[in-house]
Amino acid sequence: MNGSRRELLWNIGGGLGGLAISQMLGREAMSDENDAPKPEFNGGLHHRAKVKRVIQLFMTGGASPMDTFDYKPMLDKLHGQKLGPADKPEGFTAPAGAIMKSPFEFKQHGECGRWVSSVFPHQAKVVDEMAFLMAMASKTNVHGPATYMMNSGFLLPGFPSLGAWISYGLGSLSDEMPTFVVLPDANGLPYNQKGPFSAGFLPAMNQGTVIKAGNQNPVPDLFAKQTFPFATRAADKDGFELLNKLNANHAVEHPHDSRMDARIHSYELAARMQLSAPDAFDVSKETEATHAAYGLENPTTRDFGQRCLLARRLVERGTRFVQVWSGQQGATGNWDNHASIPKELPPIAASVDQPIAALLRDLKSRGLFEDTLLIWTTEFGRTPFAQGGDGRDHNGGSFVTWLAGAGIKAGVSYGQSDEWGYQAEVGKTYCYDFHATVLHLLGIDHKRLVYRQNGIDRRLTDVHGHVVNEILA
Amino acid sequence: MNHFHANLSNCQLLIFLIAWAISTAIGPLSVSIAGGQERQDTESEQFFSEKIQPLLKSHCLQCHSHAAGEMEGGLTLDSRDGWSTGGEHGPAIVIGRPEESLLIKAVRYQNEQLQMPPEEKLSDAKIELLVQWIEHGAVDPRKTANVSKFVDGPMNWWSLRPLIRPPVPRLAASTEAQPNPIDGFVRRKLAANTLTFSPPADRRTLIRRLFFDLHGLPPSPEAVAAFVANPNPRAYEELVDRLLDSPRYGERWARHWLDTVHFADSHGCEHDVFRDNAWRYRDYVIDSFNRDTPWPRFIREQLAADYFYPNETYLTPALGFVSAGPLELSRAGTAPITFDYLDRDDMVTQTMAAFASTTANCARCHDHKFDPITQEDYYSLQAVFAGAGKGDIEFDEDPVVAKSRRHWTELLESIQTADRSLGEKLLSAEYSEIVAQWEKKQEEQPAVWETLLPKESTSFGGAMLTIQQDQSILASDVRPDQDTYTITVKTTLTRLTAIRLDVLADNGLPLNGPGRQDNGNLHLTEFEAMLIDRDGSEEAEPTRLNIRQATADWNQDGWTIAHAIDGDLKTAWGIYPKVGESHFAVFELDEPKTLNPSHRIVIVLKQLHGSGHLIGRLKLFATDTDGATSVNLLPEPVLSAINVQRDQRSEDQKMAIATHALQAYAEKQLAGLPAQSSVYGVSARYSHASKLEKPIAPKVVHVLRRGDIHQPGDVASPGALSVISHPSGRFIVDDANDEPSRRAALADWLADPDNPLTWRSAVNRVWSYHFGRGLCDTPNDFGRMGGTPSHPELLDWLAVWFRDDARGSLKRLHRLIVMSETYQQTSIFPPISSAAALPVNSPMNEFNDCDPSSVDAENRLLWRMNRGKVDAESFRDAVLQISGRIDLTMGGPGIQQFSQSKGPQATPKLDYDAFDWSGLTGARRSIYRVVWRGIADPLMESLDFPDLGQLSPKRGSSESALQALSVFNNDFVLHHSQVLANRLETSHPTLEEQLALACRLVYLREPKQAEHQWLVAFAKQYGLAATCRILLNSNEFVFVD
Repeated sequence: MNGSRRELLWNIGGGLGGLAISQMLGREAMSDENDAPKPEFNGGLHHRAKVKRVIQLFMTGGASPMDTFDYKPMLDKLHGQKLGPADKPEGFTAPAGAIMKSPFEFKQHGECGRWVSSVFPHQAKVVDEMAFLMAMASKTNVHGPATYMMNSGFLLPGFPSLGAWISYGLGSLSDEMPTFVVLPDANGLPYNQKGPFSAGFLPAMNQGTVIKAGNQNPVPDLFAKQTFPFATRAADKDGFELLNKLNANHAVEHPHDSRMDARIHSYELAARMQLSAPDAFDVSKETEATHAAYGLENPTTRDFGQRCLLARRLVERGTRFVQVWSGQQGATGNWDNHASIPKELPPIAASVDQPIAALLRDLKSRGLFEDTLLIWTTEFGRTPFAQGGDGRDHNGGSFVTWLAGAGIKAGVSYGQSDEWGYQAEVGKTYCYDFHATVLHLLGIDHKRLVYRQNGIDRRLTDVHGHVVNEILA
Repeated sequence: MNHFHANLSNCQLLIFLIAWAISTAIGPLSVSIAGGQERQDTESEQFFSEKIQPLLKSHCLQCHSHAAGEMEGGLTLDSRDGWSTGGEHGPAIVIGRPEESLLIKAVRYQNEQLQMPPEEKLSDAKIELLVQWIEHGAVDPRKTANVSKFVDGPMNWWSLRPLIRPPVPRLAASTEAQPNPIDGFVRRKLAANTLTFSPPADRRTLIRRLFFDLHGLPPSPEAVAAFVANPNPRAYEELVDRLLDSPRYGERWARHWLDTVHFADSHGCEHDVFRDNAWRYRDYVIDSFNRDTPWPRFIREQLAADYFYPNETYLTPALGFVSAGPLELSRAGTAPITFDYLDRDDMVTQTMAAFASTTANCARCHDHKFDPITQEDYYSLQAVFAGAGKGDIEFDEDPVVAKSRRHWTELLESIQTADRSLGEKLLSAEYSEIVAQWEKKQEEQPAVWETLLPKESTSFGGAMLTIQQDQSILASDVRPDQDTYTITVKTTLTRLTAIRLDVLADNGLPLNGPGRQDNGNLHLTEFEAMLIDRDGSEEAEPTRLNIRQATADWNQDGWTIAHAIDGDLKTAWGIYPKVGESHFAVFELDEPKTLNPSHRIVIVLKQLHGSGHLIGRLKLFATDTDGATSVNLLPEPVLSAINVQRDQRSEDQKMAIATHALQAYAEKQLAGLPAQSSVYGVSARYSHASKLEKPIAPKVVHVLRRGDIHQPGDVASPGALSVISHPSGRFIVDDANDEPSRRAALADWLADPDNPLTWRSAVNRVWSYHFGRGLCDTPNDFGRMGGTPSHPELLDWLAVWFRDDARGSLKRLHRLIVMSETYQQTSIFPPISSAAALPVNSPMNEFNDCDPSSVDAENRLLWRMNRGKVDAESFRDAVLQISGRIDLTMGGPGIQQFSQSKGPQATPKLDYDAFDWSGLTGARRSIYRVVWRGIADPLMESLDFPDLGQLSPKRGSSESALQALSVFNNDFVLHHSQVLANRLETSHPTLEEQLALACRLVYLREPKQAEHQWLVAFAKQYGLAATCRILLNSNEFVFVD
């Protein structure tokens, strides 16, 4: 590393945090840097990247595995028997009830023969595109810590999320789009509020940008509010120019400061983002057929469908990582179906099912699966035991995640839960393995993407993590 | 063991024994056995070094060695100890038995859960080599990694060496008569690298730098002009003193500390609930910086003000330090087992990082990989906080009030607990006057209550009711579940307004009663009274007396006396937990009743709750006075005692009167004291955010194997780092159950003059904020994973000077630093060769003529000043000041710059966009803003305000399009662009003048010609506000030279 490069890193990042900003300062100049995206690695850091962009669908509340993808005929046999733990495990909200069979019919689908319940009729048709992690586990049965864990690898606040690490490691694909975009449920934020999209101790530029889909001003502060009449579009445009002149003048007397240069550049990009972003966020430009496919005309699917469509438009335009959330925090309107699986699960499942299938097909037909990864996941699973009448409680023991798209071996599954779907039994994977695998696909060795904070070389995967090669093409 | 031997062939056994002998000896070559065996050793070692070691190196050590800093699954394979102790799954190798060795199972991929190496299975040939090695005794001559961890001993590390004051270098180049020692150290290092100082910054730059550095605000244009024109050679020094004396200094530097300790106004995590009283800690920190509290005292106040300064109660908010972190609600509700332990971890991490720059938390699962911190040390630190509960601690800001409260509370407590000293105390001279006064007052009032004489009493449940000498009724013998007492009484009164029921303590009752239940409680379901005229007719119909209201001296929570007259048989009056003492209830009639001598009153006491909740002893009274509940409600036995002549009273009666009189007096005194304040802090009297009756004893903390709460090991006692011999890292605490004394012991350890870490930590932290980076670049980590100091002698000199000469005064330290030539250099490189930029007398030839950036591009050697960027608070406060509307009111509850609405769970929804900036609270300094931990202010966040889920010893800095847009379009900036424009318009009539003033306010200089023209042209087209917006977004405003 030469001197000015080191100084630049220090100036920009306040330490070692300058990795991603190198993106903004002319990628080509950084190509000799060890940990910069390399053309010979297809933009990966440490090996060839198969994936350049990611859409993650996150089901808030803990989607029930044994009522969706994890078929457990044994539950039919044991239905009604009191076989659960006698003492209430930490994080259960009530003592375990009797074993409860799934109220939904399961059938095998696709060439791969994946069992899918009747709550996901649309996804059932595209199972041959998906690879399943059937035995994911969490270290907690509590929403807040579990949501942190699936996003940042830690149970605690203040750690960078997957999207932030990717932004930090790889930077943006486009100068005109935010790198890490979060599309929360129209009803509200998930558990931990904005915690799951935090940049933690990474530089603030890596945090998730929360987009309010359907709002007139979806990108926060993209434009001034109308209450400030002097901030017209023309004043913006000429203002950016004036600012540039003032800054350039100032730079003549204050030479050799990469941080100032970076700030000048950031305003140039801001001006460009003002021009390109409104188009990206305008789903009305899509055809009627697309609207219909994503379920935008149906009140049940409209919100999630619109956000899935938006996610596709964003990755098309160069956003690296988009997170689409289903459900807000709280007791209702999400996947936390304590009170009744037959009553609560079908509506939330229906709100996402058609949009997800549409998104998957859309990505594929547009060729985006060449370098885009689609992920469906949740924070933990649910108990095979009934809670109350026919609800299910929290269970970090086993849950399902699926991945599709670039680099994924379609139609396979890895891991298996026990006969009740209570605990991961074979091929148990934690968030560490899942994150390691996603980073691997992006051309990143999860052990080498580090940031030193308070004396520790922090990683997304802490001191764990194995790439799940079984699901990779 | 027999079974084990039986499975070994003789040959294998021999090898096993040899291997065992080797492993237990100090070094393999020192073992002297028979010659043949020696040869065998050498061969085995050769086999190891040629075949096995390279194999381990290329396939295993990347994840299983100290050198790589990786211990996957807790296993290391870089030493014999490593594999014989093993990891999570136990020992990796069973010597001589490859089939049973985990290592072999793993490389053979036998178990799906454990397949090593994970990337690709080893070739069969390589696996066979490992099998052979283990079969032949797994000879491994490598020394243990732990021994080699600290090459020259654990204490031979810059931050752990004893503090010795290095001599100050004297250099001929110095121009000053009394050079600043800092410059001596910096110059010597520069000279050694053929570098010199850059020229001093000009005065405009200096005053702007100093203001932002010490106040987080820009100077006014007038202050700049005055300073630039000031001919006094001491002008700069005077400016420094003036700035350090201003309260703006504390507001600026408090924020640095609040970042360091991850303080916020809300809990954080999934239930991000507001902490109403956290702000008092923020005010305490501001005040401490302004008062210049010496550093050792600052440590002691924050860790244990309750222990060290119990009488200085206004220091209680200092205890907000320990509770600054986010995890208390998670511990209270979410996952108590997991978070109890994680919360203590957070307290340990924060305290050791903030005061000692030590990452003790790295020793949670195993001894620290890089620093001499054992796992036991770590759990000793956890033990320090093992009794630390958190909550809104009540305190009196005024120590006089606190003293008074303590005095009367203690008296009340000794009355309530009836402790042994009570009698002595109550009859002492101190209190006899109060008692006498009370009695005098009693005597002035007419007697109100007449004892009702029981004629008949029956128990429906079969208990024995006996009338006592004092006309009370005692229940004994059978204790039914439920009972109803019917008592017929006589009175001499001719008018009846109220009846009074006393339930009396009695040492024959469980817990002294007054109830018959095992816990001393009773439940009166219904109280009924009837009047019977016994004159003549036997058949007289009883008249029901209607009760208008009932009052009791004490009501159990949820079991008030009103329940005894509500006609509902499911509700009742109770007195728990105030058992063991007498209570009474007064029942007022809805209208006065006239009585004649033949009248009898029948009292029915229904006690139907069950489980023996029955009255044990009772006494009845009546009165003819109106408003009986408001006068003279004396409990039994005070009522009886007072009716006895003073000189005829028994000791018990005297006590009864004194107790009652003093209790009433103490209660009145307490009620008259000003209300207490609260601070969210730490105390053994609080747990899970609520107050306890009495302090809880600290929990037992175990050393956890691998940091796993399910694998508790030895019990840890309070302590810190055992590697430091003095002060001792194992604390001697007088009373281990006294929670504050544990915190106090840690505070003493940290504040000890001989602690090598504390003083270096403090001066380095202060330095880092002045220069933008510390002498050691990792302010929270002085360990082997942290940075090494650029100027170790300077750091040590400053640490000793700060401790001994400055006596821990931060203001003296600031003064020394900002007075140095080092600090006053220009930050511009290469310096502009304009004469105006240099003060007169500056010897040009002194400055660098070679390119310093080729020698030291990072400026670690400080050949110039580092340029700073204003942080989030300084940006906002500067905008407020420049626009002319800053409100410098200090302290008080946090300003909520958002609108708040109910969320789906405990966390509310915040809308920062809805805040109206024209309101008064929009103009306060940023330090008084409510910082909601998990829901950040978007503008502050985009200006790199940190995520306070974790400690933030230094602010990040980043520039992206979204951050630029935020500053460009955020309501705050736009609103104040308009406010600034209004200010300009009212100051001057022409655009030219207005924009010249704008430049003076924003840039603290006159506009340059071209620039002035651009601004005027832009303002003509888009208006003044639009122009101000551009100025506030410009680099010259946000960077500090």
